[in-house]
Amino acid sequence: MERTLRSYLLPSLLYAILLEVMIAAAILYWPDFEENIDTYGDILPFESVRKMVESISETGVAAYVNLQHFYKACNVLGTAAAVFFAVGAVAGEANRGTLELWLSRPVSRTRMLLERYVAGALAMALPIYLTSATIPWLLEQVGEEMSLSGLMLIATHESLFLLVLYSLAFCISTVTSRPMPVALGLLFLTIFQFSIYLVMEWTHYSWFRLADLDDFQTILRRGHLDVSTCGPLAVGCALLLGASLYLFHRRVP
Amino acid sequence: MSVAGRPRPAHILSQTPAIRIRGLSRRFGNNQALSPMDLDVAPGEIVGLIGPNGSGKSTLLRCLTGVVKKDAGEVTVDGEDFASDGVNIRRRVTYSPGEVNTYGELTGAGHLTWLLRGRDQATHARALEVAEDLGLPTRSKVRTYSHGMKRQLLFAAAIAPAVRVRLLDEITEGLDPAMRARILDRLRADADAGAATLLSSHHFGEVDRVCDRLVFINEGKKLSEESPETIAARARGLATFEYADATAARDAHERFEAEGIDADPRDRRLLVRLGEEDPQRVLGLLLGRSDLPAPTSVVYGRLPLADLYHELYGEEAC
Repeated sequence: MERTLRSYLLPSLLYAILLEVMIAAAILYWPDFEENIDTYGDILPFESVRKMVESISETGVAAYVNLQHFYKACNVLGTAAAVFFAVGAVAGEANRGTLELWLSRPVSRTRMLLERYVAGALAMALPIYLTSATIPWLLEQVGEEMSLSGLMLIATHESLFLLVLYSLAFCISTVTSRPMPVALGLLFLTIFQFSIYLVMEWTHYSWFRLADLDDFQTILRRGHLDVSTCGPLAVGCALLLGASLYLFHRRVP
Repeated sequence: MSVAGRPRPAHILSQTPAIRIRGLSRRFGNNQALSPMDLDVAPGEIVGLIGPNGSGKSTLLRCLTGVVKKDAGEVTVDGEDFASDGVNIRRRVTYSPGEVNTYGELTGAGHLTWLLRGRDQATHARALEVAEDLGLPTRSKVRTYSHGMKRQLLFAAAIAPAVRVRLLDEITEGLDPAMRARILDRLRADADAGAATLLSSHHFGEVDRVCDRLVFINEGKKLSEESPETIAARARGLATFEYADATAARDAHERFEAEGIDADPRDRRLLVRLGEEDPQRVLGLLLGRSDLPAPTSVVYGRLPLADLYHELYGEEAC
């Protein structure tokens, strides 16, 4: 576990720093953005994006933060982090030839895999919580405010969404020995999903519909997680983890 | 002393097996990697697994530890039946894989700690002691180690735990002769203290030196199980005639064949099968005949492992 945590620590830290820099820059830019919001609405190319700007115009800084931090930074960087942390979990060991050594220690396979899963999930999700927790302080610097509890709820929704992608990549990792092609394939799929989200006619086919501005604003408005979205996401994670365990028990070096 | 000449220790004969395998099998797709196999290894015994590449030696060791899931069969190690994913067995054995792949970013000491996860502190200290005794720089990163040093690191982790069963796959591969001898001495001492060892190897000198018994495997099947007694019995039916050159050996081979004597030519040598009825008398008759080419030397009653391998597999050992 110790080696696993150490191997995830540095990438996780870099990912957290990147998220923090992005949200800090976005918040410091908020006064300028607010001033020119109508102009942005006119020049943006996609209708879906124009709708997001309209939403910001109506509801203010909260929608702006949700768009910049959760929809943009966390969805994009988080997806990359989810794939990066998951895909090497087992396939990385097989690729470097250390899988047999790993499997031959006196530890049950269930425990081995769960440790990896939890370590990677924490490495992916903790930066989201940590950077979200700094948002109220950053907003104070530009004379705005947002509740920490609302941000933590959205961070939970976002983490759960990314955890499904993480679990999918993790599950694939238990059956393959070539992490790089899998990672690239998943990242291309993600880019494709992000692209179709921007096209109004296809937007409903994008998995990013499960973690977009509408979802985040709804959570803030209601003050609790949306069970109709989070429930299936949690079930998806559980099923993929179960499949990973099943496949890992049959894995040969 | 070689395996053929080594008397079997009394405690090997008297105790229940430390490793008991019945009907163990494993298939990978269309390839039957292990056909149903039975094998017993007694406490204090070192059993050598011999066979060409892909014969099933490593698969057998992996199935015993649960690294590869067995399809069928029963495995009992140190009185414990194989259960679940084999973690109960892995706690009772040490296993050193044939492939040497390590975490280069860890130090030698850190790597030992990683390898020995789930073992007690005394084992960690002992492993470090073994590694340092072998001359490994345990504070250096493993990426700076040579192939042989990595092999020694795996050996230190395999020999340190106070368990009664060790499963070792090519444990001395890549080591220089002096280091190989030190490792084998440790193994022998460990076995003399009661550990049962299953040792897979391609190195005849190694298995001949430390093993009490040999199991020859090919295409996933147990071809033969040889004890000092059976090797000696085989040796009594064979004689090796050595000639001045290969031409003389070929000439002798033709003459032997014409006489209906079964012989295998191997460069300057002929392995002559003397038959089961009074082989010494047959040997005397052959040597007494002046019409047959005279050998420069004759070895009787001793069967080198390379020749036994040839007998069993019909091909030269590498």
